[in-house]
Amino acid sequence: MTDHRWTPSDSELSDALRKHYTAPSDPGYWSALEARILAHVARGAHVERWWSALVEMARPALAAAVILVLVAGAAVVHTRQLDARNAYASVISAGPPSVTTAARASSVADGDATLDYMLSH
Amino acid sequence: MRAPIDGAPTERAIVIAAQHGSDEAFSALVRLHQRRAYSVVRAIVLSHEDAEDAVQEGFLHAHRALDRFRPDQPFGAWLYRIMANAALDLVRRRKVRDADELPDNIAIPFRDPAESGELRERLTEALRHLTDRQRAVIVLHDVEGFTHGEIGRTLGIPEGTARSDLHHARATLRRLLQIIRSTP
Repeated sequence: MTDHRWTPSDSELSDALRKHYTAPSDPGYWSALEARILAHVARGAHVERWWSALVEMARPALAAAVILVLVAGAAVVHTRQLDARNAYASVISAGPPSVTTAARASSVADGDATLDYMLSH
Repeated sequence: MRAPIDGAPTERAIVIAAQHGSDEAFSALVRLHQRRAYSVVRAIVLSHEDAEDAVQEGFLHAHRALDRFRPDQPFGAWLYRIMANAALDLVRRRKVRDADELPDNIAIPFRDPAESGELRERLTEALRHLTDRQRAVIVLHDVEGFTHGEIGRTLGIPEGTARSDLHHARATLRRLLQIIRSTP
């Protein structure tokens, strides 16, 4: 018993490929495929139009939101600047408490306490 | 739509009408090119069903990109390039979905290829062992009769690469389809 190796020739391979990849020949098939392609394209175009419309509608809303955020941000910054300016102005106008007055008041209070202690004993 | 002397509009005229939004003109382009488009995508995908999906997707992409097409260029070449890309995208998506391993050996009992559809069955399995590009190249060349240059333009690869892919695809298929026959 002998073994023979059989390898398809290029032409046998091509023939087999042609048979394997034969496109449908029924005209009805192609009409149906055409209808499906056109329906798919129409659906895609519809989705695209709907999406474009949504983007168009969203654009002014987005612009308004951006403006609102900018205005709110500017208001916050302005308020902070105003608060800082007021705080600074209040510090400048009030001035620091007098050290001598404070010291005197303290020594008077200490003197009263000493006098009370002496009288009670 | 402009009509030449014989009454039938030229493809260029149909393309221009489609670019101006004529659904009728786009339908005519589908009718003119769907068979060849099917053949191009069928060379890349593994099944008839996938080929139908890829053709539909390809025509949708073409419809969206129609404004960017220059009518002085050959419409077919432009369309088939889009088709090939749609098919390659579909194959990539399928691969992600069905990430399963293929067996190394194709174990189908031997019957004489001349007497049965044996070679065809084995071929179906053997084609799965080629890369997507090799499969596309050999099918476009052997089945559709594309030249190496046309294959290169359709698949977006250099002509030399198409030539080399064809050589490797043939060698792989012949090796996988090799059969050892015992005779007394």
